[in-house]
This record gives sequence, structure tokens and C-alpha cells, in this order.
Amino acid sequence: MAAIGIRGLSKSFDGFQALSEFSLEVNQGEFLTLLGPSGCGKTTLLKIISGFLEPSTGTITIGGEDVTHVPPERRDTALCFQSYALFPHLTVLQNLEFGLKQKRVSRDQREVRISEVAAKLELETQLEKLPNQLSGGQQQRVSLGRALVMRPSVILFDEPLSNLDAKLRDQVRVEISRIQRDYSLTAIYVTHDQSEALAMSDRIVVLNGGKIVQVDTPEDLYSKPRTPFVADFIGGANLISGRVSSQTEKGPIIIETSMGPIKTSHLVKDNVDNVELSWRPERAKIGEGPHCGTIVHRAFQGQFTDLILEQNDIIFRIRTNNDKLRVGEVINFSLSPDDVVVLEVDK
Amino acid sequence: MTLRDWVPIFALLVPGLGLILVLIGSVVYVAVAQSFGYYALLGQSAFSLEFWSDVFDRKLFSRAVRYSIYVGFWSAVLSVALAYPLAIWLRKPFPGSIGLGALLKAPLLVHGLVAAFLYINVISYNGLLNQFMQGIGIWSEPRRLQNDPNAFGVLLLQVWKNMPFALLLLTGAVQSISDDILDASRDLGAGPWARFCKIIAPLSISGMQAAMVIIFIGALADFTFQTTVGPTNRQSMAQLMVSFKSRGDWHSAAVVGVSLMTIALLGSALLAFTSRVIMRGGLR
Repeated sequence: MAAIGIRGLSKSFDGFQALSEFSLEVNQGEFLTLLGPSGCGKTTLLKIISGFLEPSTGTITIGGEDVTHVPPERRDTALCFQSYALFPHLTVLQNLEFGLKQKRVSRDQREVRISEVAAKLELETQLEKLPNQLSGGQQQRVSLGRALVMRPSVILFDEPLSNLDAKLRDQVRVEISRIQRDYSLTAIYVTHDQSEALAMSDRIVVLNGGKIVQVDTPEDLYSKPRTPFVADFIGGANLISGRVSSQTEKGPIIIETSMGPIKTSHLVKDNVDNVELSWRPERAKIGEGPHCGTIVHRAFQGQFTDLILEQNDIIFRIRTNNDKLRVGEVINFSLSPDDVVVLEVDK
Repeated sequence: MTLRDWVPIFALLVPGLGLILVLIGSVVYVAVAQSFGYYALLGQSAFSLEFWSDVFDRKLFSRAVRYSIYVGFWSAVLSVALAYPLAIWLRKPFPGSIGLGALLKAPLLVHGLVAAFLYINVISYNGLLNQFMQGIGIWSEPRRLQNDPNAFGVLLLQVWKNMPFALLLLTGAVQSISDDILDASRDLGAGPWARFCKIIAPLSISGMQAAMVIIFIGALADFTFQTTVGPTNRQSMAQLMVSFKSRGDWHSAAVVGVSLMTIALLGSALLAFTSRVIMRGGLR
């Protein structure tokens, strides 16, 4: 049985359709990420799952039980807020035991759960402090701990790392993943940061305009995006339109593009002539090759260099380890047919 | 710092702090001095504890103290208790909430004396309430509602007048609590009462304390409502002070005045402290 079942969910606000006909199943112990641009409906969905919003239509089940109209205080979920939402007048210890007291957990049990979580999150020395005496990372850990002590069926994260600096974000990201695995928690994580989603998730749901665009593992989502939106949103792929020139059962398919003919080993649907192609900037092999372009912009990023190239008024991006290339140089490159993906046209 | 550094600081403080010190300090000084026999308008000015012992020996004084504290305390508590749910209700804007908020604050614009006379029109022997109750057949004859011995009329007017002020302070305090904090408490299982006791009240305590203290001080020293609708068998401290003054006994009036200031100071400190203790940990 799925830990969470979402069926035919829609939500509208004063005529604005935030979610439409949304269906999804989340497995027990799975780390699922809702990824999409601002306003795509991911936070709305999280609020519906946690009970703060009621859907216009559709149902939600948690552990097989219909909770569509159950208020948040009676749902077996715990939400980690973007702002941490720690109670500023309560100490870390009081924050941690707040929910347990509401649920009338015995004092002994409270002590056991809090000491276990405090040890796991390295909060033992902070228990008597107020939230404003903690760093951002510590506050995030308290927020996580406050959710974990509840031992919920489902833990929900609403962009929990967005207020942390880059270094701390990496640390906390690892901690969240570790804790989710250790406790075998079913987690739903909302973010607009694709690198966070790729690094942490078992599966990613890409949302756009209140609809699911693609649900896949991080690896498949990256290497086999289905639509131009996904290809561009995850990892910033190069997109180019083309026309099928030749398609044989053996050997790659040739697509005629403004960059010249591009080979792909991915099948094109029958009776389709015009297609959209995608290829990742780091898959281009600089050196000998049928494609070429003039470097119009160069951005050294440390481990790699981003090059913006132009050819026949087409702009595309290549990522290379070669930091000797300079603006104005013309370079040749090749693409493996396996790395060129044929996309479905966005509806 | 040298004297040269102090001069501009002192000069900048003078218009604000100086004015406060002169206006308040001079009044307090004269009242205290007069209560000890100085600044006599009639007779000899000399240090004396006679006025203090004389006033403190009077039953009238102790009754006035108890009565004024009663009015001050209940006015503050009832105003705040009524304003809290309204402040929580008006926390998030909804269609008409601005108009409703303005309407609730309208009593701030009506002078206390006007309010008292309007109230008399309602509750007097031939007033609107008596006419209405007789009209619908609940009362067979008019009842005497004015100048009730428990000062419910005074309390009603105090609450009517001060609740909007408490609402003003509490709305600001309650609005400063983020939605996430309230949602987090809800997510952790807190129902409406637990959310109020454990989150809203402790986080809006400064607004609540300010409202309590200011209303308490105002109601403690009430004169207008007491003389128009208050009980005829009791006097408030302000009333007693005025009656001493009317008889030319400025020293005894000063004793009551200084007592009033002292009770206001101690009472508001006690009220603020008690409310903090209750709100921070006592409400369960």
C-alpha cells in the first residue's frame, strides 16, 4: 500500500487554477521531491497534504486512510517550514517537546524521544537556548528535530534549505538525507533548486502550471527528459528544433537542424517530421567533430568552464574542463547519438 | 567624555526630556510637597504628617481605594479579554475587515462624558432599555438601572471606551506573529485554545501588558464615568480628591493624589508582572 495516495486533486483560488487533476502515489520510505518554478503549485500541494488547505476536488489518503478533510492538528504528518517556524519564546527543549505534549505523550516517552533526536542532530548542548541564540543551521536542525520526535507517517519539507548559505546548505542536505534513511521516513520535499532535488530524491515530480510534467528518478530525469521544459529546467540543456532526415531500423536517426545534421539513437514517433532535440552542455566532446561554433562568452566556474557558443544565430552552451579556450575562438565538437534526446512537444 | 561633548547631547535632550521633567516633575513635586504641608494656600506652610494620618484614618479613603482598584482592575481585564478574540479575528484581512476594525475603534473618537450621557439615555428610568423591555413584555414596569451599587455601568462604559484602545495594541501584537508559527503549532497538534495559550498570548504579551497598564491607570483615576453613572454610595479616589479640594483642603487632596499615583505605579507593575507570569507559563 502506498504511504500517500493523491487522486484527481485540483485546487483553485479565485479563478486561478493552482493544481489540476493531480494524481500521485508515494511509496513507504520514499524520498519524493516536488520540483518546479515559483507558482507551479508545489507549496499548494504540500499545504493540501499537511491539511492547511482543502482541495477543490480529489482525495488524499495517508496509510490508506482518507484524510482529505482532516485538519492539520489531527493528521499524522509533520511539516518542516522554510522559515523554520520555531517558537521564539520557547527553548530548544520546549520546542522539541511542544508537539509531544499536545499529543499527551508520557513524560518518560518524551524524554526518550527527545534525547534520541537531540543526539542524532547534535543538539544536546543547545537544549536550554532560545532559537535566536542559534545559527541558521542549528535552527534548521531544531525544526527537523521537532518534526522527527513526533514520529510521523509522513514528513514534509517546504524549501527547508533556502535560507541557508551555500556551504551550510550542502551540510544540512546530507543530514536530512541521512536522517530520512535512518528513520525510513516517507518524505515529500518541495524545492525549486534542481541540484537539491537531484542530490536527495528517490523520485522527482516536476511540476509546471499546476500539472505533473514528469515523474522519474533523478538519473532518468536528467538523462531522459521528456519535454523541453524538463530538459531546460533540470540542468539547463541545449534545445534545438529539427526535421527528421532519415530514420532506419539500424543505425542512428539523422535530424536536420540549423546546426547541421545531428544524430540521435532515440526513436522518433512514426509520422512525426518536426522534432525538438535536447543535449547536455557537458556531453559535447571538444576537438574533432561535425559541429562548430564561435565562443561568445566564457565563464570559469572552478571545476569546469561554461562556454556560450554561436553558430548560424543559434546560441548554445558547452561545459568543458579546458580552461584555455577564449572568447572569439572557433571550436569543433561532436555529440554522441545516445546523448541527443528527442523530446515530446510541451502541451 | 569632556564637558564639550556633553553640552550638545544635553542640548538635544532638553526639548524632549526637559519638557517631560518640567511638566511631570513639577506637578508631582507640588503634590508630594503639599501632602506634607508645604505650599499651603491658606495658613502656614510647614512639614507635617498630619494630613497623611488624617486621610488614612478615614474609612471613606480606604473604601475609595478599594473601589478605584476594583474599577481599574476589572476595566483592564475585561477590555483586554474582549479585545483579544477580536484582534485574532481581525488578524488576517477579509472583505470588510478594515471597515469593521474602524467601527470597533469608533469609541476612541467619542468623549467619555458624551458616552456617559448616551449611556444614561439608554438605562435611565424612562430610557430606551426600559421602554424596550416593557415593549416586548419582559418587564411589567420600569426598573432602576442607573447608579447601580456594583458599578456595572461604570465598568460597561470603561470597557466600551477602552476596549478599542486594547484592540489597537493587541491587533498590532497579534499581527506580528507569523502565519508559519501558528501553522507550526497547529501541525504539531495544538487546537485553538492551546494555540492561544501557548503561542498567541506569550508572543503578544507586550501589547497586552501595555493595554492593561494604560487602561488600569486611566480607569483607576476615573472621575467622569463615576460622577455620571457610578454608584451614589461610594466615591472613587478622583472623586474624593475633588471633594477635598472643593472644601479648600488642598493638603488632603494632595494626599489622595499622591496615593493615586502610587497605586497606579504599583498596581500597573503588579498587573504587568502577573500577566507575564500567567501568560508565559501559567495558562494550561
